[in-house]
Amino acid sequence: MSVVFSRPRFRLEPYVEFAKVAMAKEATYRFDVFTNIASVLVRVYILRTVWVALYAHNAAPSELPLHAVITYSTIAMLMSLVMDIDQTRILRDSLHDGSIVLDFTKPMRVPLYFIANGTGEVLFHAVLMIPALALALFFVHIDVPSFGTLAVFLVSFLLGYSVGFCINFILNCTAFWTLEITAVQFIVTWITDLVGGELVPLVLFPAALQNVLVVLPFAAMFSTPLLIYVGHIPPAQYAGALGLQAFWLIALGAVSVVMWRLGARRLVSQGG
Amino acid sequence: MAIIETADLRKVFRSVKRRPGVGGAIAALFSREYEEKAAVDGITMSLEAGELVGYLGPNGAGKSTTIKMLTGILVPTSGSISVADLVPHRQRLENAQNIGVVFGQRSQLYWDLPLRESFALLRSIYDVPRERFRENLDHFIEILDLDEFMDTPVRQLSLGERMRGDFAAAMLHDPKIVYLDEPTIGLDVVAKEAIREFITQLNRERGTTIILTTHDLADIERLARRVILIDDGTIIFDGPISRLREEYGTHRTLVITLADSYEDVQVEGADLESREGNVVRLRFDRRRTSAEALIRRAMERYALSDIAIVEPDIDSIVRRIYREGYTEGAIGSPS
Repeated sequence: MSVVFSRPRFRLEPYVEFAKVAMAKEATYRFDVFTNIASVLVRVYILRTVWVALYAHNAAPSELPLHAVITYSTIAMLMSLVMDIDQTRILRDSLHDGSIVLDFTKPMRVPLYFIANGTGEVLFHAVLMIPALALALFFVHIDVPSFGTLAVFLVSFLLGYSVGFCINFILNCTAFWTLEITAVQFIVTWITDLVGGELVPLVLFPAALQNVLVVLPFAAMFSTPLLIYVGHIPPAQYAGALGLQAFWLIALGAVSVVMWRLGARRLVSQGG
Repeated sequence: MAIIETADLRKVFRSVKRRPGVGGAIAALFSREYEEKAAVDGITMSLEAGELVGYLGPNGAGKSTTIKMLTGILVPTSGSISVADLVPHRQRLENAQNIGVVFGQRSQLYWDLPLRESFALLRSIYDVPRERFRENLDHFIEILDLDEFMDTPVRQLSLGERMRGDFAAAMLHDPKIVYLDEPTIGLDVVAKEAIREFITQLNRERGTTIILTTHDLADIERLARRVILIDDGTIIFDGPISRLREEYGTHRTLVITLADSYEDVQVEGADLESREGNVVRLRFDRRRTSAEALIRRAMERYALSDIAIVEPDIDSIVRRIYREGYTEGAIGSPS
């Protein structure tokens, strides 16, 4: 059976501490922080230029006028500040160097430790979104939706983020079986960028392809919150859109749990 | 009352059988043959609370596998374990609260954090009452001399400093049982001594039960009264270190320095071990030949300028057992 057989009283405190420490650790790489924000701003600027040029030479699609597509890609870049983090890399690392054995000698739920650590890192980067957003508002004029839409967007963003977290966790869990997962991870990131709607809104894809892509979990990560933000998904469709995201979150959450259990079972039967 | 008990403990690992050559490697991608190996093969042992036991064996004998099962990281293939009335692999979280672990080759400190913050995190993980934590920390800072690097990130510490930090980290929650896996590996003499002193104190003053695996037999000689020797996953000796010495350390060496040059040096009742110039080493079985008789015989035949008798050290005893295997009582045949 799984390693966590019996469960004494659960305390949240250590995991909060782990998250805080991870957050503080991220903050020590200050240079990283500045380059991160700078790179987001550069990408925002480049994408804006590309969209302006594309729209000037082609008939603008009725679904997304120029200002909407610029808003879309700016918000997408800001989201990538937290979405593109390898949140549970620490799991892969500790399997790699064998230190996971020591993690298991401590009275803590090891997956929660990894999750807390990733969450701390991400929270730090989430804070970074604020100056990046301010700068983006200043340099590129983006649409600001109504308060209600903004609230739904935030919920959708959180769901999308969680879906991405699960995918990341599942990928890092494969390190229980094989330590070489960089290639797989690269492919998944690339697929996400492409078919998740991070770079190009899915509504600009051919209809047949679109119908397939919108139901994939990758669309749940980027496309859904972004289309809610720019108003392409109207309030009448909120329930369906959020419901699909929630479905993916539950499904991939279940896969995460199974992957962890199988991995941990392998670890306790085959050693670190 | 026994605090650690195992009965017929076994752990079998299954691994992919490697076939030679590129063809074999490619074939292995599609079909795999497995082979099984018992790393631990029927270990039964019992430790009383407060004991300090040396757990010895050559590389690959099954030491680490045993320790991993006792800590609850590995599930045994068969047999039973009880550690402070818990079954470690079933009650990993509760068991973790009772144990402290130091692996010489790995650190449980957080690489980017100063010791102080690592300790604070551990306090929170083990839920150590703040006052008790304060007391323990002050105590360990003093005896392990941690003061000067408490605020240095762990990655900048020397191995000796890091090990001291690791020891404190493993003891902050007052574990009843401590597993030390090669805790002095790679340390210089001074650092080794500091660690040994700390282990002695821990065992003596706090009554902590300690299992120590090491390849440095000076650790064992200095710290443990009882040793468990394993080889090929089975126990080949379990008893006081004095008995090991008595039964296996039957051979002493008489070292004589010749005053004149002689061609062949032979003394009845002893075998020539080595000769370097005028220094001759003669090995003898102390149960068959007394040192006194041997010296007398040597002095009758040769003019000597110096005499010394060398007792076997634990290192050579264990080396001999690893090489020849241990057979109870069967110690007669000189090698």
